[in-house]
Amino acid sequence: MRRLYVITRDLHLYIGLFLSPFVLLFAVSVFYLVHGLATRAAPGPFDPSRAVAGVPITPEIARLQGRVRVDALRPVLEQLDVRGEVDFVRHVANEHRLIVPVRLPDRDTVVDIDYEQRTATVTSRKHGIGDAVVYLHKMPGPHNADLRGNSRLIRLWRVGADATAYLLLFITVSGIYLWVVLKAERRVGLLFLIAGMVTFWVMVYAVAA
Amino acid sequence: MADMFFVWNRRIHYYLGLYLLFFTWLFVFTGLLLNHPRWEFAQFWPNRLQTTTQHEIQMPAGATDVERARDLMRQLGIVGEIQWPAQQSGPFAFQVSRPGLIVDVKADLERGRATVQRNQLSAWGVMHLLHTFTGAPAGDQRNRRDWMVTTVWALSMDAVAAGLIVMVFSSYIMWYRLKPKRFAGVVAVLLGFISCGALIVGLKWLT
Repeated sequence: MRRLYVITRDLHLYIGLFLSPFVLLFAVSVFYLVHGLATRAAPGPFDPSRAVAGVPITPEIARLQGRVRVDALRPVLEQLDVRGEVDFVRHVANEHRLIVPVRLPDRDTVVDIDYEQRTATVTSRKHGIGDAVVYLHKMPGPHNADLRGNSRLIRLWRVGADATAYLLLFITVSGIYLWVVLKAERRVGLLFLIAGMVTFWVMVYAVAA
Repeated sequence: MADMFFVWNRRIHYYLGLYLLFFTWLFVFTGLLLNHPRWEFAQFWPNRLQTTTQHEIQMPAGATDVERARDLMRQLGIVGEIQWPAQQSGPFAFQVSRPGLIVDVKADLERGRATVQRNQLSAWGVMHLLHTFTGAPAGDQRNRRDWMVTTVWALSMDAVAAGLIVMVFSSYIMWYRLKPKRFAGVVAVLLGFISCGALIVGLKWLT
């Protein structure tokens, strides 16, 4: 029993310390999200842009859809030195254009490709730390499930976000065990636990019922 | 004095953790649901209960669109957060949402008729929306929080976030007091900050 306590206490400590920056990231980004503070404006005409000719692309790319199209665009983007997670690609068929938004936590780039002329305009905008943490908070998220994780960054972040959730569940359960073992804190702790449970259910009932 | 600070720091860590336990479980679990939209068991949108009804209405009173919408909602017996469409054209149309219920209202004010489409969501849908229900989409000036309950829920999200931040810092203080565990703790914290920082900055080799 003593051994279980010591192991649980050490795991709670070290996993909690490792997890702390991730918890801070998610917690701080909540303030931006709840109050709509991180607007993350898309790159516009006043942002730095460059024109590139001789883009290695063929009109066949317009026939592709979804993830296949994104995978086909990846080498083109690398050639243009544009890196990040490709979002929903817009095809303007009558102008032979593909508008490709590419995101990093702290940067958005829009690559406007003319696949007939084989030219591209690359426009990018740098974002602050607030936008970066909000972006990570929302990734990979429920939308565009077919496209998500087309960059190594988001594939890694998906693992990081899941690991944060699972380890946080472990931290809460191990925390309950460590509290139960502490006889002196049981009574007051139980009051806080019940108070929290009542607050939670009253809130959920008020919002959802 | 210093001892009292450490005693209370430890107590705050315990008590806050216990108080926020259910909120933390909700946001952690729903975070997993949001990041795994293909999990079959948690699908809620295809299983929603949808009903469409027609109603006779009186010309809604009010000087602003929000006041008119609120009066219309009172007539139709709907409560929730109003969401305005990106472009208003044709009938007086808006959406009313709350976790578990999404209602689309289209009102022909001249003829005194309204079409109400209700989407009743399952418990999975309720949980899903509790995670994201803020009433203040970023960069959308027209849609601001207009339901008191949304404000209370949003403030509780703030409180949970603030509570977690306090718990992180109180854990640092508790760890610092454990001299034999300082070195291994430094390694754990540094590993956490380096991996998290690398992802925020989006190092080129990661993309």
